[in-house]
Amino acid sequence: MGKLLRVNTKEKSFGFEDVPEMYAGLGGRALTSKMILDEVPATCHPLGKLNKLILAPGILSGSPAADSGRLSAGAKSPLTGGIKESNAGGLVSQKLARLGITAIVLEGRPDSDEYSMIVINKDGVEILPADDLVGKGNYAVMEAMWKKYGKNVGVLSIGQAGEQYLKGASIQQADTNGRPGRAHGRGGLGAVMGTKKIKAIVVNDKGAARVEIKDPDAFKAANKRWVEMLRNHPVTGEGLPAYGTAVLVNLVNEAGAFPTKNFRSGRFEHAQAISGETLADNAEKRGGVPSEGCHPGCVIKCSNVYHDKEGKYLTTGFEYETIWAFGAHSMIKELDDIAMLDRLCDDFGLDTIEMGVTIGVAMEGGMIPWGDGKAAIDLLSKVGVAAPEGKIIGNGALFTGDALGVDRVPVVKKQAFPAYDPRSCKGVGVTYATTPMGADHTAGYGVTANILGVGGTIDPLKKENNIELSQGLQIATAAIDAAGLCLFIAFAVLDNDDGLPTVAKMINAQYGLSITPDDILELGKSILNDELEFNKRAGFTKVDDQLPEMFQESFPPHNTTWDFTTDELSKTLKF
Amino acid sequence: MLTITFNAFSFLQKKLGKKNIEYSNVQMEIGSGISAVELIHQVQLELEDVEVVFINGKAAPFDTIIQDNDRVAFVPPGTPGPYRVLLGFKNKKNQPE
Repeated sequence: MGKLLRVNTKEKSFGFEDVPEMYAGLGGRALTSKMILDEVPATCHPLGKLNKLILAPGILSGSPAADSGRLSAGAKSPLTGGIKESNAGGLVSQKLARLGITAIVLEGRPDSDEYSMIVINKDGVEILPADDLVGKGNYAVMEAMWKKYGKNVGVLSIGQAGEQYLKGASIQQADTNGRPGRAHGRGGLGAVMGTKKIKAIVVNDKGAARVEIKDPDAFKAANKRWVEMLRNHPVTGEGLPAYGTAVLVNLVNEAGAFPTKNFRSGRFEHAQAISGETLADNAEKRGGVPSEGCHPGCVIKCSNVYHDKEGKYLTTGFEYETIWAFGAHSMIKELDDIAMLDRLCDDFGLDTIEMGVTIGVAMEGGMIPWGDGKAAIDLLSKVGVAAPEGKIIGNGALFTGDALGVDRVPVVKKQAFPAYDPRSCKGVGVTYATTPMGADHTAGYGVTANILGVGGTIDPLKKENNIELSQGLQIATAAIDAAGLCLFIAFAVLDNDDGLPTVAKMINAQYGLSITPDDILELGKSILNDELEFNKRAGFTKVDDQLPEMFQESFPPHNTTWDFTTDELSKTLKF
Repeated sequence: MLTITFNAFSFLQKKLGKKNIEYSNVQMEIGSGISAVELIHQVQLELEDVEVVFINGKAAPFDTIIQDNDRVAFVPPGTPGPYRVLLGFKNKKNQPE
C-alpha cells in the first residue's frame, strides 16, 4: 500500500504515513473527497489554515492502463464554499503513483509571505525557497522547472491569480511539452495553494520502480481489450483525435443549445468561425498540432497546439468550453483573440470557463463592449499585474456581477455555467443544479443510459427522465474520476457490453481484487454521499440546488424554459 | 422547389469541400417530397457517412420528409459530447432498419 505525504506549510516540514485502513482501495476523487470530509471543518474559511489541499492519483494511474493518468485535486472551494474536486491530465498523477504516493496533503498556512516549492523524487522530499518564482506566470515557472530538474518532470504551479488568492484561480500542470496546458481549473483551488504559499510542486519519478501489478497476464489482456475499444470507437478513435472537443461548437449550436450573449439564445451566427473545423483548418495551414494527448498513455489525444497567423505558438489545450465562454457567450468571433484569452488564463492560472463567463458578465455590466476581443484581452491582462479591475474579474462571474450591479449571472453555488444551455439540454441542467460541485458539466458527462439502466429515449427539451439520467451520469462520473480515467472513455464504455467489466478487470488484476461493475457504481454513490455530507455541514440546503431566475425566460430557437421545481431536483441525488 | 438551410459538420466538411459542395449555412434548393436519406445521396454522401440528421435543431429519423424552410444538418459518426446521450444518438432509431 502507498503512503500519504503530509506537508505542514507553516513549519515547512513534511512526513510520510501509511494509508489508513479506512482509505484502502480509494484513489482520485474518492480519496480527496473522503479526506476533505474527514479532515477539513466544513465551516472553515477556504483561505484559512484549516483548509487543506489534497492531490491524489486515480487508482489505475501509473499502471499501463490507457488514459488513466488523471490527478484529482480537492479542497473546500474558495469559489463555492462547498467541497471541490477538480481533475486534470499532465504528468504528476502517474509519477506520484510510481513513487508510491497515494496522496499529497498540504496543511496549515504560513505566517510569512515567503513562497516555497516542493520537490519530490525517489530519494525524498525537499521544501525549498521559491522567491525567484514569485510574480511569475505559469509559462515561466514551468520553463524554469524543466530547465532545473529535467525535461518531463511533473509540475503543478500557480500563477499571479493564485498568488492573489482569487476565486477563479487554477492550479496548472505541465503538459507533455512542459507548457501549462493542463488545468485543475474549477473552484479556485489555485487560491488555496496560494494561501499555503506553495508556488510549485515538482515530481520526478526517475529511478522509481514500476507500479506493482499483482496479475500481469490478466492486466495485459484487459488493457489490450481496453485500448482496442478506445481505438475502434468512432468518437475516441476518430472524432476526438481529429477535431478535439471543439467539434461540439457547430453541433451544440445546431441543436440550439449553444448559449449566446449571456444565455439569451441558443445559436451564434458566427459559430463556424470559432468551430473545431476552423481550428483544425488553421492548425493545418499555420502549423501546430491538431491532436495531442494530455498525459502519456492517452490513446484518444483530443488536445492540440494552436499557432497564430504568423505560425508562432499561441496556446495549447484549446477546448470547446473555453471557445464557447470567450466566444458565443461574449459574442467574440475571432478565434485568435479567444486563443490569446486561453493563453492568458493558462499563464496567470485562471479557470477558462469562469473567466469566459465573467467577461460576458462584464460586457453585460457595460465594463467593455460585447464582442470586443481586444478589450477582453486588455481586461483579463489586468489580473497579471494585480490591478483593481483584475481583482474583480479574477474573482469570477458572481463577484463581477455584484460589482457591476448585474442580476443576469449564470451560476449555481456561485460557480459559472459551462457551455450547454440547461433549458434545451435539460439533463445537463439537472446536473448543474444538483452536483455538489456547483455548475459543472463534467460532473455528469457522457456515460450512457443503457449501462446505467436509465433506458428509453431522452428528449433534451422535456423534463421526463432527465432527473434519472443526471443521477446515473453523476454516479458513473464520480467512479471514473476515482479510477483516474479520462471521462471520454465513457463513449467507448457505452458502446461495448464489456466496457465497465474491462475496467473492473484492470483494477482487479492490478490490486488482486475481485470487484464487479456494480461495486464500481456503488463507489460512485459513496463519493457523492461524502460530498453531499460536506456541503450539508457547510450549510448548503436544497435551495442551493437550483438555477438562477434568468433561466425562467423562454430560450430560442426551441423556446424552452427551465421548469424543474426545487422538490423535483432534490430527488436527483437520493439513493 | 423548396428552399432549406443546409449544414454539415466535422469530417463531412472536408468530404463536401473536395466535391466543391458548400456546407456552412447554405441556402439550398431541393425538390419537394424528398427525405433526409435522399438528401444525403443528393449531396454525394453515403448513408454511413451520417450518424445523425438534425432537422430544425432536433435529431430526426432518416426517413423524415423535408419541408420548405427547414434547417437541415448532417453529423458524421465520431462526435463526442453529452449530446450523444442527451439527444438519443444511441437510443433513438434514427437510421432506417
